[in-house]
Amino acid sequence: MKLLIKSLAVLLVVATTNSAKAETILIKNAKVHTQTSAGTLDNADILIEDGLIRNIGEDLSSSDAQVIDASGKVVTSGVFALMNQIGLVEVGAIEGTNDAATEVVGLGAAFSVDEIFNAKSTLVPMNRAGGVTRTLIKPYNGTSLFAGLGSVMDLTGDYDSLIVSDVAVFATYGEHAASLSGGSRAAALHDLNRAFTQAKEFSNNESAVKSGEYRELDYSISDLAVLSRVLEQDIPLVVSVNRASDILTILDFAKKHQVKLVLAGVAEGWEVAQQIAKADVPVLVDPMDNIPGSFESLGKRYENAALLNKAGVRVMFSSETHNAQNARFAAGNAVAYGMPYDKALAAITSLPAKVFGGASNYGKLMPGFKAELVVWNEDPFEVTSFAEEVIIDGKVVDLTTRAQRLEQRYKDISTDQNTFYRK
Amino acid sequence: MSIKQFSKSFLAAFIGAAFLVGCGEDEPAAHPKDSDSQAFVSQYKAKEYHPVLIKNATILTANGEKIENGSILFSEGEIIEVGTDIDEPSDDNLEVIDAEGKWVTPGLIDVHSHLGVYPAPGVASSADGNEMTAPVTADVWAEHSVWPQDPQFQLALAGGVTSMQILPGSANLVGGRGVTLKNVAGRSVMEMKFPDAPYGLKMACGENPKRVYGGKGQAPMTRMGNVAGYRKAWIDAQEYMQAWDDYEAGMGNGKPPKRDLRMESLAGVLRGEILIQNHCYRADEMAVMMEIAKEFDFKVTTFHHAVESYKIADKLAENDVCSAMWSDWWGFKQEAYDMVPSNVALVDKAGACAVVHSDSATVIQHLNKEAAKAMTSGNRLGMDITPAHAIKWITLNAAKAIGVDDQTGSLEEGKMADIVLWDGNPFSVYTKTDKVFIDGALMYDRDNKFKQPVSDFGLTNINSK
Repeated sequence: MKLLIKSLAVLLVVATTNSAKAETILIKNAKVHTQTSAGTLDNADILIEDGLIRNIGEDLSSSDAQVIDASGKVVTSGVFALMNQIGLVEVGAIEGTNDAATEVVGLGAAFSVDEIFNAKSTLVPMNRAGGVTRTLIKPYNGTSLFAGLGSVMDLTGDYDSLIVSDVAVFATYGEHAASLSGGSRAAALHDLNRAFTQAKEFSNNESAVKSGEYRELDYSISDLAVLSRVLEQDIPLVVSVNRASDILTILDFAKKHQVKLVLAGVAEGWEVAQQIAKADVPVLVDPMDNIPGSFESLGKRYENAALLNKAGVRVMFSSETHNAQNARFAAGNAVAYGMPYDKALAAITSLPAKVFGGASNYGKLMPGFKAELVVWNEDPFEVTSFAEEVIIDGKVVDLTTRAQRLEQRYKDISTDQNTFYRK
Repeated sequence: MSIKQFSKSFLAAFIGAAFLVGCGEDEPAAHPKDSDSQAFVSQYKAKEYHPVLIKNATILTANGEKIENGSILFSEGEIIEVGTDIDEPSDDNLEVIDAEGKWVTPGLIDVHSHLGVYPAPGVASSADGNEMTAPVTADVWAEHSVWPQDPQFQLALAGGVTSMQILPGSANLVGGRGVTLKNVAGRSVMEMKFPDAPYGLKMACGENPKRVYGGKGQAPMTRMGNVAGYRKAWIDAQEYMQAWDDYEAGMGNGKPPKRDLRMESLAGVLRGEILIQNHCYRADEMAVMMEIAKEFDFKVTTFHHAVESYKIADKLAENDVCSAMWSDWWGFKQEAYDMVPSNVALVDKAGACAVVHSDSATVIQHLNKEAAKAMTSGNRLGMDITPAHAIKWITLNAAKAIGVDDQTGSLEEGKMADIVLWDGNPFSVYTKTDKVFIDGALMYDRDNKFKQPVSDFGLTNINSK
C-alpha cells in the first residue's frame, strides 16, 4: 500500500509540472546548435515567449519565466523525422491499425493521409519523448507506382497536428516498381512517363477532361490533378530508387518532365554523386543501412551520406516509424563515417524544412522562430543521450509514454506482485 | 541433471553391466548411441598467428572489471594474461600494440542471428531459414542452410562480432537446430563451426506458429494449440529416448531402434545435451513454457526477443533462464507492443541473465551501441550501470545463453583470444572497431584493406573494390 501511495504521489507531481506549461521559459547556460550563421554557442540562454524564441544570448533574464538549467546540456531544434508512418500505423501486423497503403487500383498519386493521422497513437508520445517534434508522414506503395502524398505533422498529440498538407508526391522506381508494372523496369518507366504526359494533357485541357469532352485518360482526375501540381513545380516528386543506373534514369526523367525531384533510398548514390549534385537534387538516405539486400543495392555502404555530402548533394536522413527518434543515432553513424556534424544535424532538422516546407519559422534557433526545440542531456547523436525537455510551440510538452508507465509498474516487481493496481 | 534422469541412466548402466557378459567394466557399451554420429563436426582450425601484447588500453574484461592502462597478452589462440603489470615476454615474434586512447573488450557474441540462412541479397532462392512445412521440424539443422559466402558475415565482423548462433526461423513450434559459428571465412559451414559448442533447438511461442499453420486451417491455430503441439512432441521424444536407453541397456531384441532425426534433436534436449532457444515475447507465455519444461524435465536455456521479460524477471532469475532482448524494437506485431527500453536493465537488476541480441544483419553490427542504449534506459530508471557491467550483455552473458561461456565471452587467462580493439569507448556512437582477433589471430583490421575479408558475393560490385 505504501508503494502504491508513493507512486501515485510521483504521478501527481508529474501531472502538475506538465499542466503548468509556462508561456515564458528561460533556458540557461546551454550549448546551442543554432544552425544559423552564429553557429554553435557554447554557453547561451534562450528566452521563449508566446510560442516563439524571443532572444538568444548570454545572461538573459526574465522575471516570470520558468527557468530550465541547461548547464552542460545541449539544445537543438526538435528532430524532424522523415518518411515514416507515425499516426498511420499502431501495430504493423494488425491490418485494422495500419492505414499506410491501399490496394485500391486507380488511387495513386492522390492518396493523401494527413486527414487520417491519429494524433492519439502511442507512437506520438513515444517518438516525442525521443525528441521528435515533427514528422513527414507518407503512405507506401500499394498497387501503384505512386504511393501518394506526404504531409508534415507535429507531435503535440493535439487533434490538429497538421503543419503542412500534401507537401510531396512519393513514387518508386527500380525492382519494386518493375514488379508493380508487370516485371520490367522498362514497363515501370513507361508508366511513369505516361502518367506525367497525361498529367500535362490534363493541365492543358482541364475543363474538357472534367466535362468528358476529352479522350479517356488512364488515370483518375484526382491523380492527374496532383501530378499536374508536380509539373507546375508546386510540390516535389520523391522517387525511391537505389541502383546507380536507375538513379541516372530518374535524373533524366525529372529533367525531361521538368519536375522538382527528391531522391529517396539512394543506396548506390555515392557512385553517381557528381551527377546528383549537378542536377541539384536533394536526397533522403538511411545512414544505418549497409546491407546489400538486393541486386539494386550492391554498392550500399555507411559512407554513402558523407560521400554524397562531399560531392555537394543536400542530404537528409529517413527514419523508421515506431522508433523514428533513432534517426539521431543514425545521424551519429553518418558522422562516424565522415559526415560533418552540422550537416548531419541539418539532415534531421533544417534541411527537410527547406525541401518540404516549414522553413520560415522552424529549423533555426534564432529570435522570431518557433520555439520548437529539445534540451538534451548531451550530444543528441550519442547512444547514451536522451531528451530532458521537449518544447513545441513554446510549451514544455509531456514526455510520458506507454512504455514509461509499464516501467513504473514493473520496476519494483520483486517487492510487490500486485501490478494491476499500479497505474 | 535432474534426479529423474540420473536414476534412469544409473539404472540403465546397472542393468547393462549385468547383462553384457564379456565386456570389461571400464569399456563403453558396444552399441552406438543415436546421437553419436560424427557427421558435420567442426572442421574449424584457428589461424596460426604470432603472440600479441596490447598495451595502454582501457580494458573491459566482462567480469565486471574496467582496467585503465591495461595490457592483454595472447598467444596460440589463448589469453595468457590480462592486467596492468604484464612483463613483455622476450619473443622475437611478439607484436606489441600501443593502444593509447583505445579500448579492449571480448569479441562480441550474437545469440540470435540468421546470417547465412537469410543471406544478402535477400532473394527468395536463397531464403533458407524457415522450414514452414510442419509445426515440429526438429529434424532440420540451420547449418545445412548456411551459405558461407553471405557478405553479411564480414559486416558483422567489422562490428566486432566473433561468434554467433545461427537459428532457424520462428514459424514452427520447434523450428530445428541452431548452430554456433566463429565469424571466420569458411568454404563450408563445417569450417566455421565453433568447436564443441552445444547445439541449440529453436522453439517458438505465440503469433508465428499459430498464424502460419492456423492460416492453412491446420493445427496449431491458437496458443492452446501451440502448447498441445509442444507437449505432444515431448511425449514422443520421451518414448524415443526410452527406446534408445533400453537398447543401450541391452534390453529388448538387441536391434537398435531406427534413428529419427526429429526425435533425436528433442531427445538431445531431454538428455541435457541440446539447449532450448525459445522465441517468446509475452511474459505469460514464457511462464507457460517454463511449466512445460518442468513437466518434461528439461531446461529452457534462453528466451529470445523476450519483450516482456521485465514482467517476470524474478521468475527468470529463479529458473536461471537467460533473456535475449533488443534495446527498443516494438510495435511491429501485437506481442511486441509492451516493449520497455529498460527491459534489459530490469532483467539484469533482478539477477537474471540478460543478453542483447540482434536478429538483424544491421543491428548485429551495432551490438555495442544497443547495449549502450539499454544501459542508458536503466540508468534513467535510477540504476547505476557502467560499461564495465553492460558489456556482459553482449559477451559473457551471451556466451552463457548458448553454452560456450567456459570457452569465450570474457577476458580471462586460458579462454579463447576472441578480442576487439576499439578506437574509443565502445559505448559511443562514434566508436568503431580497430582490430578484431578470433582465437588470437587478426581477422579484421580497419586500417589495412588486406586484412578485411570479402566473400565471393562481395566481389560483385566492381566499384566497391
